[in-house]
Amino acid sequence: MASEQLSREEFDLLAKLLGVDGEPAYLDELYSQVRGVYISAKNIREIDVSGAEPDMAFIPPTD
Amino acid sequence: MDTLEICYMSAGDLSKLVKNKEVSPVEIIDAHLTRIEATEPVLNSFITLLAEESRTAARQAEKDIQAGRYKGPLHGIPVGLKDLYNTGGVRTTSGSKIFDTFIPEEDCTVAAKFQQAGAILLGKLNMHQFAYGPTGENPDYGHMHNPWNPEMVTGGSSGGSGSAAAAGQCTITTGSDTGGSIRIPAALCGIVGLKPTYGLVSRWGLTALSWSLDHPGPMVRTVEDAAITMNIIAGYDPKDVASAKVDIPDYTTALTGDVRGLRIGMPKEYFEAPLDPQVRKAVLDAVSMLESMGAEVKEVSFPMFNQSQAISSTVLMAEATAYHRDLLEKDGYQLYEPVRQRLEAGLFISAADYLRAQQARALLDQEGRRLLDDVDLLAGPTEPVTAPKLLAPRVLAGEQEIGVVGALTQYTRPYNINGFPAISVPCGFSDTGLPIGLQLAGKPFDELTVLRAAHAYEQATDWHTRRPPL
Repeated sequence: MASEQLSREEFDLLAKLLGVDGEPAYLDELYSQVRGVYISAKNIREIDVSGAEPDMAFIPPTD
Repeated sequence: MDTLEICYMSAGDLSKLVKNKEVSPVEIIDAHLTRIEATEPVLNSFITLLAEESRTAARQAEKDIQAGRYKGPLHGIPVGLKDLYNTGGVRTTSGSKIFDTFIPEEDCTVAAKFQQAGAILLGKLNMHQFAYGPTGENPDYGHMHNPWNPEMVTGGSSGGSGSAAAAGQCTITTGSDTGGSIRIPAALCGIVGLKPTYGLVSRWGLTALSWSLDHPGPMVRTVEDAAITMNIIAGYDPKDVASAKVDIPDYTTALTGDVRGLRIGMPKEYFEAPLDPQVRKAVLDAVSMLESMGAEVKEVSFPMFNQSQAISSTVLMAEATAYHRDLLEKDGYQLYEPVRQRLEAGLFISAADYLRAQQARALLDQEGRRLLDDVDLLAGPTEPVTAPKLLAPRVLAGEQEIGVVGALTQYTRPYNINGFPAISVPCGFSDTGLPIGLQLAGKPFDELTVLRAAHAYEQATDWHTRRPPL
């Protein structure tokens, strides 16, 4: 699970582990995007999902 | 008949003339090719134009009709497909030069259905690269331009479909909608876009963006044409694992013009979000008109709306990255940088967070179903703003300046998450002449009610009769 905040150092380490590379300007922009990902994850963790099974997709009738 | 009139006729009207042999498919195709020649340098709607192929098909359609082999309301009608619909023998790029020479061996299910119905494929339409963006940017094949003001975006990802239908380049176009990619360009280009219920239209043969959020559907100039198109493309497809086995009605039976007794809910959260005042007024006026026509309107609450961006982006980014991971590793350097960034950002989503988003998705689905126990439709804006400037990173929505991607998907994403049918229908123009869309969403597989209300509103107004200044 993602921590609530992602420092630039943590991002650089994760990026390296994930094989993500690029020019400094590209990585700056990607860091900004990934911080957005972490904010979304934090928002979702604040929702009480107890009792809810993952809805992998809206399941249409098949018979 | 004036060629421009042919280009702006609906499929419903055009098909009557074709059936009565008052207009030939050859005239129709020639008129559209002339229109495309005149407008394409401004709009850039097409990636592949099939001029000779469509003329040949039109001559065959003309012969068939003359010989009494009329196939139905799409026989001889020009269709454009978003360039992620596989077409046998015709290149399908998904909006990327990486697939510039990819020629599928067979049609996707939707393309095959159009072919069987006698429709004529005019070309493959421009799109945001791999459908991963809501604006209609494409450095590989050129950005798409809004027919109402070419300095503005078409919306995306099905931007070429939006501009082609709005500018009279095609009678019927198709899009695919993962976070709003049918309804966004429909609203910003001033046309009708229907995202059907998940599983109603086959995804087989379309390049995926996010398996559980992708919905193919029609983008046209009238609600009647959306119904006619749904009659052709909806239905069970064993090739698509998510395809629904449901009875397919005649969608044109919804077009009664009568909304008496229809219950419409207005989620209050829609009007607490950042929203341009002109859009707010146009949407409220549209709902008032439906009320004056006999619908019952009431305010409802949809609290999970405020979590829909977070849920949708987490699911979408994780699934898109999973789908495109090999491409990212092999050809990532060839991707449009913002698309590559979105795909790489998806690598940072943990499995636990993806599943948590799917749990939250179940809650949003339940909340939407509860709301639709009380009302037949949910109404609101399709977009909080009119078309932003091309390549602008931010846009003013009311008093707040917000990111363009978040703004354009603000109202559309909830119905990708729960799979409910949702339509965008034109409901006005800003004082700068840009279109505004009304979004109506209904119960799963109740496209009839969605189409009924959209059609009644459309027929009571003249927004759909206006033409862009091209």
